[in-house]
Amino acid sequence: MAAVKETIEAVAALEKYEHGFTSDIDTEYAPKGLSADIVRFISEKKGEPEWMLEWRLAAYERWLAMEEPTWAAVKYEPVDYQDLFYYAAPKQKEGPKSLDEVDPELLAVYEKLGIPLKEQAVLAGVEGAPRYAVDAVFDSVSVVTTFKAELAKVGVIFMPISEALREHPELVRKYLGSVVPVSDNYFAALNSAVFSDGSFVYIPPGVRCPMELSTYFRINASNTGQFERTLIIADKGSYVSYLEGCTAPMRDENQLHAAVVEIVALDDAEVKYSTVQNWYPGDPATGKGGIYNFVTKRADCRGDRSKVSWTQVETGSAITWKYPSCILKGEESSGEFYSIAITNGRQQADTGTKMIHLGKNSRSRIIAKAVSAGKSDSTYRGLVSVHPKATGVRNFTQCDSLLIGKECGSHTVPYIEARNGSAQLEHEATTTRLSDDQLFYAQQRGLSQEEAVALLVNGFVRDVLQELPMEFAVEAQKLVAISLEGSVG
Amino acid sequence: MIPAAQIDLRDASSFPSRRVEAWKYSDLRQVLREAPHPSPSAAIPITGGGPFEALGGEAMVFVNGRPVGVSTLMASGTQTVRLRLISKAEGTGHTVSARISARAGARLLILETHEGEGSAYVAHNRLELDVAHDAEVTRIVLADEAADVVSISQARVRVAPGGRYRQTIVTTGAKLQRLETEVTHLAQGADVRLDGLYLLSDARHADLTSVVDHAAANGTTSQLTKGVVRDTARGVFQGKIVVERGADGTDARMGHHALILGERAEVDAKPELIIYADDVQCAHGNTVGNLDQNALFYMQQRGIPADEARALLTEAFLVEVVDRIEPEGAREVVREWLTARL
Repeated sequence: MAAVKETIEAVAALEKYEHGFTSDIDTEYAPKGLSADIVRFISEKKGEPEWMLEWRLAAYERWLAMEEPTWAAVKYEPVDYQDLFYYAAPKQKEGPKSLDEVDPELLAVYEKLGIPLKEQAVLAGVEGAPRYAVDAVFDSVSVVTTFKAELAKVGVIFMPISEALREHPELVRKYLGSVVPVSDNYFAALNSAVFSDGSFVYIPPGVRCPMELSTYFRINASNTGQFERTLIIADKGSYVSYLEGCTAPMRDENQLHAAVVEIVALDDAEVKYSTVQNWYPGDPATGKGGIYNFVTKRADCRGDRSKVSWTQVETGSAITWKYPSCILKGEESSGEFYSIAITNGRQQADTGTKMIHLGKNSRSRIIAKAVSAGKSDSTYRGLVSVHPKATGVRNFTQCDSLLIGKECGSHTVPYIEARNGSAQLEHEATTTRLSDDQLFYAQQRGLSQEEAVALLVNGFVRDVLQELPMEFAVEAQKLVAISLEGSVG
Repeated sequence: MIPAAQIDLRDASSFPSRRVEAWKYSDLRQVLREAPHPSPSAAIPITGGGPFEALGGEAMVFVNGRPVGVSTLMASGTQTVRLRLISKAEGTGHTVSARISARAGARLLILETHEGEGSAYVAHNRLELDVAHDAEVTRIVLADEAADVVSISQARVRVAPGGRYRQTIVTTGAKLQRLETEVTHLAQGADVRLDGLYLLSDARHADLTSVVDHAAANGTTSQLTKGVVRDTARGVFQGKIVVERGADGTDARMGHHALILGERAEVDAKPELIIYADDVQCAHGNTVGNLDQNALFYMQQRGIPADEARALLTEAFLVEVVDRIEPEGAREVVREWLTARL
């Protein structure tokens, strides 16, 4: 009976979102609502050059003329864009030189987040701390950037994009919006107008980035839309692995998150982008209060033989609307997409990828695993398209869905457009429920039902977990189990 | 569940454009900017008995949209109906409206032929089909139309508990051709097979679209579509299988495989699964590619000329769909029809 009690306690504890806490740090807000003046305010606050302000204002104009898309298989209360704060910055002295200058509460937040990447040690200045570079995004302004010097030694630029605008305006100006144009879609236009901060990465030619770069996003201030902007440029022959992990505190009002990630890969460059997203999914019974995650992520494989690989573990958010894509322009360029989407409670996820083959002999591979439980809905929506001039294209797509429970839904909506005779495209999809036999077998061997489910689901998503960097894989495996607690029995 | 586009040939504003998701790959508005003039309705002599003449059965004939005889039919027992949709028009448009019901326990074979004898016409065929309790209906469609024709066929099928529905569509396309099948409200234990085959050359287009809606438990759907496109032809396959809440025990399989044999030919596919029940087995597979170069090489090595080897491999690829046709008589007619066009 002790084991049963333990499980009950564990489940009870899980009903509260693990990262559901709010810390009180002085936040400087822009007034609520969105107007050209707010855009000017943000731009001024960040001390941006004139061209940047014009760029933002142009995006704002475009956004006004656009309509919110409704084609995704998700339902949510319409967002009142005038009822949001578009700028919140933790009050900070400019550029903390040492940890002593960092708000201790901020450090406490990191601690509560349980940042597994040992950044704590890094932030605390411990000698011989492992080498990860963290660009922590706290609300909207990047607060601490570590390892700058070490990265600078090899010429890698890794800094908040607001800083990059001042220090490397030519690079930002050249690449910003070149992968995701301001008018690409409704949320990208909104982001372009009001993005407050994000990360900027530049890897010079021939450099293999000596460490994994990671950013922790965190939405903290109540009612603040978070509009991240990430720009990664991998110059010829370079390599970088970028980790993005997300948590957010508990809240009752829906929060909007409309990020844009742009990746440019030049000749022979390789970028690996991994995400673990665990934002507050809303109340499991009512779906109230979860995060709206409307993200535009796109990689431009401009160079020949360039490669971009997206790996994502999506367990959080009330609504997810996200399609990390690859434009395979370069000859023999390749794109990969590995995804785990787990929905439980009232969560809704509409996610997938686009592989646009423009270059000769370009290749792509898509492995998408969706697990739906509770009253959630999960959709894979993807496109593989082959341009008439792209000869010798190869694509392999596999979408598997697992259903747990009678009230969830799982959908697969792939689009395949082949305009070249030499293309070889394969797509397969399956939808099944969790096997009773396997569950029974695992329970017979002494596992509790929940452990058995976690074990089987982890087996189901293994192909994708293997693609994650080591430290993420461990965290993700735990997440998979946690997200499905309470889904059976 | 998914309302089909209500197309009215007299009203150009009812023509869907590619902005309508279900017509994304078949832009009717682009090829048909204005409503066509109505086709002549004067009595037109009918020649022959159509491709399936040898199989006998009752004929149900429409010429330019007008029924020659009945436009509704109620089948019972074992019956064969040759549904002939004949278009003898030049640049004009017409609509067919047919209704066929199979009574409980009936065995009905519908041999449908789209016989185009004119040019540049617009044909809109609407078929309502009811499959009653324990009835079995087999529908085989041969669509043979001119390259400059616009042709839209919409079949709506309802299958009662324990009913079986088998369908095979074989087409060579047209300027814009849409062959739509919507199987709605599949009741308990209903069993459906929807097959398709397209063989397109020049600038032809064919769009095989289907929606199968499983509304009750233990239904089965099996779908296999194969196609070959040459030159600048465009083949479209859109298949949607919906499993509604409570439709447990559903087993649905969908396959679409296409060969692109022309440098500028195109294949667009959208195989969809929309699932709201958990005790299901659903899968789809989709491949697009070219002939196996190793097989071609092997055959040439054995003394078969390249063209012949290609034709053989293409036939072998397509014939899998034909082989699934029952009964044998109809299968042989389709096989000959196909071989003549390869």
